[in-house]
Amino acid sequence: MALVHIDGDDLVVVIEGLNKLWAFKSSLTIPLVNVRGATADPGIAADPKGIRAPGAHVPGVITAGTFHLDGEKIFWDVRDPAKAVVIELADEQYSRIVIQVDDPRATVALVENALR
Amino acid sequence: MGRPRAFDEDEVVRAAVGLFAGHAYDGVSIDDLVTRLGVHRNSLYKTFGSKRGLYLVALRRHLADDIRPLTDALAAAPDAAAVLRLVTSADLGLLLLAAVERAPVDEEVAAEVTAALGTVDQAIADALGIPAVLAAALTASALGILLRGNPDGVGAALTRRLDPLDSKEN
Repeated sequence: MALVHIDGDDLVVVIEGLNKLWAFKSSLTIPLVNVRGATADPGIAADPKGIRAPGAHVPGVITAGTFHLDGEKIFWDVRDPAKAVVIELADEQYSRIVIQVDDPRATVALVENALR
Repeated sequence: MGRPRAFDEDEVVRAAVGLFAGHAYDGVSIDDLVTRLGVHRNSLYKTFGSKRGLYLVALRRHLADDIRPLTDALAAAPDAAAVLRLVTSADLGLLLLAAVERAPVDEEVAAEVTAALGTVDQAIADALGIPAVLAAALTASALGILLRGNPDGVGAALTRRLDPLDSKEN
């Protein structure tokens, strides 16, 4: 599970609980100018994840950490696909981050509103 | 370097117009877009940034492809009856859905909708030589008729009432 908030001109993603162990990250801070958008996307969990390095992937249980797919680096922290949100980035170490949040609709609105 | 885009962006946007117009923004999932548009999920995010990003591009395409020809036709409308016929027979699906579904919660969508309806009003005002506020009332009536789904019956009754308006204004 991740907590998302806006801090000034940055988007901050805090990884909660034990997931930060599997994900090898406790938080990510991304300048809003490098955020292209956010989308609730439960279906993404069924897609190929690519190669993980480092991280944990137990299909149907947890996907956490850094994955490489089609030349892109993607950060994952998802247990419950129904609550998955995709945040697309530009000019960042990660091309996109896929995180589980408590309220996907509210998180998408928070991010999209911060971009306008 | 990501995998090169293996899709026709133009075609995908046009298909997205149909999908959003048919199912509304909230009714279309990324899975729907991936399946129906034949686009790789990662390519979709890479190209449009988000579902909202694709929606905005699709809405602007709808305005360019469907609303601009309408305003061109309206600019040459000879009378109020022709205006009613043109508006009530146009493909305004995504514009109307955007007005009720997304404009109240998305100011960028609201701005696009307002601007598009403004050009329709202006085209009518110019064509009939009537004040902008009266043209806006005519647009509102025509859209109402379109939404009620009875363009012929209601539209014909209104047209009879509008005949004197034309002769008065001209």
